[in-house]
Order: sequence, then structure tokens, then C-alpha cells
Amino acid sequence: MLNFTIRRLIQIPLVMIALSIIVIGLTQLLTPEQRAAPYIRSEQQAARLEQIITERGLRDPFPVQYGRWFSNILKGDLGYSKASNKDVLATIQERLPNTIELALVTAIPILLLSVWLGTLSALHKDKLIDQILRVVVVFGYSLPTFVLGIVLLAVFYAYLGWLPGAGQLDILNQFAVGDLKRYTGMMTVDAALNGRWDIAWDALQHMILPAVTLMIVLSANLVKVMRNSMLEVLTSDYVRTARAKGLSSRVVNSKHARRNALLPIITLGGFLVINLLAGSVITETIFAYPGIGQWFVQAALQLDIAGVLGFTLLSALLVVVMSTVVDILYGVIDPRVRFH
Amino acid sequence: MKKTAKKFAILSSLLLVSAALAASPTDTLVIQSSSDVPTMDPGVTYDTASSALVDNMYETLITYDGASLTKLVPLLATKWTPSNGGKTYTFDLRKGVKFHSGATMTCADAEYSFERNLVTNSGASGNWFIAEALTGTQSNAADDKTVTWAKIDKSVQCNAAGQLVFTLPAVDPAFLAKLAYTGQAIVEKAYSTKIGEWDGTEKTWKDWIGKDLTDSELSKKPNGTGPYKLVRADANNHLFQAFDGYWGKKPSIKNVIQQKVPELAARQQALLRGDADIIDGGGRSVDEAQVKGKPGVTWVDDLPNTTATAIFMNEKISGANNALLGSGKLDGKGIPSNFFSDVNVRRGFSYAFNYQGYIKDVQNGKGMQRTMLMPDIFPGYDSKVKTYTFDAAKATDYFKRAWGGQLWKNGFVLTANYRASAPASQTAMEILKKNIESINPKFRVNIQAKQWSEMLADSKKGQEAMILIGWAPDYADADNFMYTFYASDGYYSPRANWKDASVDKWLKQARSTINAAERNRLYSLVGNRAYEQAPYILVPAPVNYTFFSSRVSGAPLTKAGFNPMTSLYWKELSKK
Repeated sequence: MLNFTIRRLIQIPLVMIALSIIVIGLTQLLTPEQRAAPYIRSEQQAARLEQIITERGLRDPFPVQYGRWFSNILKGDLGYSKASNKDVLATIQERLPNTIELALVTAIPILLLSVWLGTLSALHKDKLIDQILRVVVVFGYSLPTFVLGIVLLAVFYAYLGWLPGAGQLDILNQFAVGDLKRYTGMMTVDAALNGRWDIAWDALQHMILPAVTLMIVLSANLVKVMRNSMLEVLTSDYVRTARAKGLSSRVVNSKHARRNALLPIITLGGFLVINLLAGSVITETIFAYPGIGQWFVQAALQLDIAGVLGFTLLSALLVVVMSTVVDILYGVIDPRVRFH
Repeated sequence: MKKTAKKFAILSSLLLVSAALAASPTDTLVIQSSSDVPTMDPGVTYDTASSALVDNMYETLITYDGASLTKLVPLLATKWTPSNGGKTYTFDLRKGVKFHSGATMTCADAEYSFERNLVTNSGASGNWFIAEALTGTQSNAADDKTVTWAKIDKSVQCNAAGQLVFTLPAVDPAFLAKLAYTGQAIVEKAYSTKIGEWDGTEKTWKDWIGKDLTDSELSKKPNGTGPYKLVRADANNHLFQAFDGYWGKKPSIKNVIQQKVPELAARQQALLRGDADIIDGGGRSVDEAQVKGKPGVTWVDDLPNTTATAIFMNEKISGANNALLGSGKLDGKGIPSNFFSDVNVRRGFSYAFNYQGYIKDVQNGKGMQRTMLMPDIFPGYDSKVKTYTFDAAKATDYFKRAWGGQLWKNGFVLTANYRASAPASQTAMEILKKNIESINPKFRVNIQAKQWSEMLADSKKGQEAMILIGWAPDYADADNFMYTFYASDGYYSPRANWKDASVDKWLKQARSTINAAERNRLYSLVGNRAYEQAPYILVPAPVNYTFFSSRVSGAPLTKAGFNPMTSLYWKELSKK
């Protein structure tokens, strides 16, 4: 297990380097003018295009440009993001806690809901409730996030007025939040630690619509997988044996069947973090939620290469770390799986 | 599991019920915009989003009087006196003006502000035009060795009486208008130095030449004399409060929050629910369909537009083996590089553009065909100058005359680019293509999308055959447009390569006199000459409009009080 973990940890920087070469290499497909364009804010500034290209060495050979970027990385400088008007590192520090907060609020209900609905569907195979859930799953799976987000916003904010609209806090709390001492960067947690439960509650309310959007889209697949896994387990010999021993259905389903059916969910659950990050790109933009997803959209639209690269490397890091965690967890949960 | 689900459902219901929403408070103005705020340092402010905030935190020496573009009134100055034939301006400064830091504004602060702009004067800023007025060149000291510390220091000084004295190398009729520009706002010298900005001395000035101030310390910690001070800024919000020490009339609205909301639907819903007061729209057709006429929304239309847009016809298309030229000859398979140097070609193209069709289809009927490439509300605009109309017969007539009849006989293939993802540009070029190709089957205009950054770079090198491009004003003076478009050494000249000796002479005369009537006469001459020579196809200007929550009111939000040269001044608004 230790060897396996060390090997996986060594892979992380190698993956990051390979990825950075690919991403920076891809940017070379753009002309120097296109890469300099994000620094131009008006027609009048077009006169400065060549000056920007020279200043930033955009005509230098690829190895020179990559070497410059890499040496800056070693100094802890990930570059300056035009999209956020801040250093990339500062931008990630400011925005990542918000995205993590939204992911946490979303991930736990997704996992609980998926396991519950998947089990329910499997236990009532081909009955009405199963049919309904299967239709709902297809519906959620095929809904584009941006459509669902806007529809939810229109219904629950604009039409019914039950939930707040875009943003992280109400107006008055935006002014009050300046007095908060920040510990984690996560609004609900920091507000609670400051004793400002009203702000924590407000922040939580603002997360409902983006979280529900992500939940509907992302839980569909998990429900489907849980249902199939549960169906497979329910027909296995040890479940039949358990029933033959006279154990109640409840005990058989929850202790014998569901526990084993959870294995694929653990794999997918690990990647749920990645999916939440990907989902945040659109969701945070629609709901003006100040996470890294919103920043990435702006960076991509503005050809902010430093920003795009920063987000990509962060995503890669999360993928590698999460897949490592999933592999380790597999070993812990399933005694049949062992690492040498 | 059933119990868990039940709890979840109860919690969800509680959340929904408790989230009863209220419209934004009456003492707080909520602005939702789609764009970022690149900077809050006036020294480098050169975009609308930044100006909108900087204009409310900082103040210039003088400003426009309400909606007027010609009358300038004191702001941080109390009066000014021109002398030395218009080459010296002496400003009395307002007493008792406080910065947000609590310090009192002095003449040294004003001197420092202008010197800082002249020293830094980067391409990212709009300081090129104040530099031209004060040092005689648009460049900074790195790009033009005639710019020395002595020259900068001498151009703006405080005299013994505490007055600010500008000494210009030549008369500049637009000088006062340039002073009203956001970028010429006064910053505090001691505070700026303390937070790490230039210290204002000769000893260090070279370290700051051409420095891009976009992410300066002053941008992060702004400190002006304006009616609002920054309270806090985070990823999506800029929060302001009325400044208690403001020298002028206290603003009616105490708090202002500017939020970045990229999604148009979210902004529209916030406006319609009363949570936002002012939002960025989505273009006339979208806004008319989704916002206009809705309860709680005030719509103000027919506002002046101050941009000018044209389709350039390049008379000297450069670039070896430029693919846009096809065969490079007038043989029916391409065009020669000087294709547009024949005035008959340019006139033919000008008559082939359907101006009214463009207004109807692209501008929803809200457009105006101008006579000159400058805003029709600017002094110097002559509405009597003739305009081209869509007239296929006249276009045919001129095309038959062009190139000694060879054009008509052989035909041509012209390839023109338009800005990618810009529907208005694409439509304009499609209109031109359709009409020209219908005149003679041997005429072919191929149009293709191109990245804007590349178009800008290539057109500057004279490599685009045609380009549709506009200009927005830096200051309210005809020179800012007329010289840019029509002078052979104007900013846009390399894109059109049109040169007319008379026009050059008139434009130079107009920028060296302060006699308004004479300047108007000269600009009228330029306008008439440009009509005859047709160097550009003048694209109709869209009519401006605005909309906002009906809870908000104020002179700048009315047709009579709207000034396109200034940002929206929050201090002049009230909310109910």
C-alpha cells in the first residue's frame, strides 16, 4: 500500500509537467497577435499590439517560452490573469474555497440521493416507481446545465420568489461581510465562526439553486449506476443464501446487498469532485457565484492563457489526487482488493 | 433511509419558505454588469467599465456642464485663465477638498497627478493625448527621446500663489476637453508614494517610464476626492459608500454596489424583481423584446451616440503575395493593390451600400446616417454635407468609368475580411457583397471571418483590403475623430492610405486655432471633400438607449441630462 501511494504521488508532478507542455504547446497554434489581444481593451490600444508581443516574448521559440513559464512556476509565480486582474495564485486562493464550499454542499446530497434512489429503483424493478425514476434519470442526464440553471432561476427566483438570485450574498450582507475575519475562505464556515449566523444562512440560501442544478445533472448517472449495481448484487448467491437463512429483507438489502453495490459508487464518487469542478464552470457563471469555474469561463473567453493554464493544472492535480484516493479507498472497503 | 428523505424534504421546505425576498434597499444602488473592471487607477483608466467606477471616486479639474459637450465647468478647479495666446493655462484650485484618506488636496497633488500620467503614459492608458498637448508628442520618454524630465516638469507646475500652471508647446483647442477626461483625475501624492507608487521625483522618474499601472497599488487601494469611496472589492463585487468628507453636495444614495453578473438572464431577472437598479443589456433587439415596457422599468430612447464607424477601402494594399488580391491584376480574377485608388471605385462601392436597409435590419430602425465620421452632436459636425444613398444606377455609372472601363469589362474578385463573431460587421459586408455582385456578374466580393486581433494588426500594416472599424471619443472635440480618420498621418491612415493635401492642411489649421467658428468651417471643408473623394463608406450610427429600475431617477438618466462623454454620476441619482 505504501509503495503504491508513493508511486502515485511521484506521478503527480510528471502528469502536471506533461499537461503544461500540452497546454502551452496548444497556445502556440494561436498567432502572437491573438495571444497579445487580451491585453488590448480598446481600438485605440491596438497600436500597442507589437509592443505587447515584444514585451512578453510571444514570438520566442516554444522551448524558450515554456522555459520562462516553468522557471516562474519554480519561483511560485503562476502568472498574471487578465480575467481576474490578479495573480493566478491569488485568484485561486480567493476563489477555490468558494467552489469547494459549493462542491461540499452539493456532493453529500448527491451521494445520499443517488444511493437512495438507485436502491429504491432496483428494489422496485419494472414497477411504477422504477419507471418514473428511470425517466427522471434520462431527463437529468440529458439536460444541459445552462438550460437547467436558467430555468431554475426563472422559476424559483424570478417567478415564485422563493430563493435568492445570482450572487453569493444579499446586498446588505455584502457590506457586512467586510468585517468578517476570514479563516477558510468559505463564506458559510467563516460567517459561522464569526458568530454571524445570518450571513451563513444567507450564503447557504444562495447556494441552493446552483447546488440543485449540479445535483440534478450529476446525480443522474450515479442513480443509474447504483441501480444496475444493486440489481446485480441482488441476484448473487450470497444474497440468496442470506434470504434462505431467514434474514429479513431490510437486513439483506441494507447490510448484504447495498454495501457491496456501493463499490462502483465509490469510484464514481471520487470523480464526482472532478465533475463538480467541471459543472461549476457553467453553474457559477449563470449564478454569478465567485468560484474558479466562473473565472475559467472569463479566462477562456478572453484568451487569458495564464488563467486557463492555472485552472487546467488545478483540475489535473485534483484528478490525479482523487483517483489516488479512490484507489486507496477501494482497498480499504473491499478486502479482496490488495496493493503490493 | 426513509427518515433521511423526510428530513431532507422538511429542510428543503424550510429553506424555501424562509427565503422571502425583498427588493434592494432605497439607500443602496445596485448595478449589475457583464464585464470585469480592469483597473481603478485613473492614470491608466481607458475603458468604460473602469471609468464607471473611477469617475465616482475621483474628480478632474473641470467637467462637462450637464449634457453639454461644449461647456466645461470647474470641479476641483474654481476657475482658469488662458494666456500667452492660448499656450498657458492657470488654474485656481478649490480649497478644503479632502481625499478619502482625510488629507487635504493641494496644488502639489494636482501637479503630481499630471506628471505621473506623462511619465507612465503607457499604451494601456489614454495619456497619449494629454502628452501630445503638454509635451508635443503622444509618446513617452522611452519611445521619444525629446521627452525629458525638464520638459515634463516645465509643462505643469505650481506657482507661488498655489495655482496650477500648464505650459503648452503649441496651441491646443482641445486642451480643456482633454482635462475633463477621467484619466486626468487628481490623486494624492503622499498617499500614492506611501503605498508604493512613483514618488514624483526626478531621481526615480526613469524607473516609471511607460509603466503599465493597470494592477498598481493605487488601483487596489483607490483614494480620490470624489463623492464615493471604495469600501471593499472581491471577485464579483465592488462596494462603495458616500464619502462623508466630500466637499460638494452630499449624495442622496448612501451605498453603491457594482456586481459582476455574466449571465444576461440573471441580470434581467434581478432588474425585473427589483434586486438590481441598473444592468448591462443584451443589445437593442434583445432588450426591446425582454425588458422594454415591463413593469418597474424605465426606458429612455433616442440618446446620442458618440461612436463613428466606417468601412475602409484601402488604396494601397500591401503584403507580398497578399491572398486578398487574387491574381493581383484587374483581369477578372483579382484586384491590383491600388484597386481603391480610383475614386470611381470608391464612389461605386459607396453607392452600393444599402444604408436604410442596414438601419432597418441591423439597427431595428434605430440608426442614423451621418454626413461625416464624427458624432453628430459634436461641435464641427456639418449636417449639410451630402451623403451617399443606395443607388445601383449611380454605382453602375461609376463602376463603368473606373480604371478606364477595364473594371466593367474584365470584372474583379475582391476578398474582404470581417470581424469574427460580430454580426453587425458580417451583415454590413454581406449587404455590400450582394449589391455589388448584382450590378455586374463579373464582379465578385468574397467575404470571410477573421480574428479581430489579427485584423487589427494586419490592417495597421495596410494588408487588409477593407475593414469595418469604429472610433469612440476620448474627449469631446472634433479633432479626436477628424484627424484620426482623415489626416494622412492620422491614427487610421495606414488602414486606408487615403491622402489629400487640402484635407491635411485644413485639419492642421483646425488643431492650431481656438477660434470655434473657423474650426467649424475647416471641418466642414473636410467633410465636403471626403464626400467627393469617398475614402470610406460611412456605416449608419445606432441610436443609443438606456433602461433602469423605475425606483431610480436623476438628471443623467433623462434624455435632457444624458451626457455620452461622462460616466453615470451616482451622486446625481436618487432612489425611492
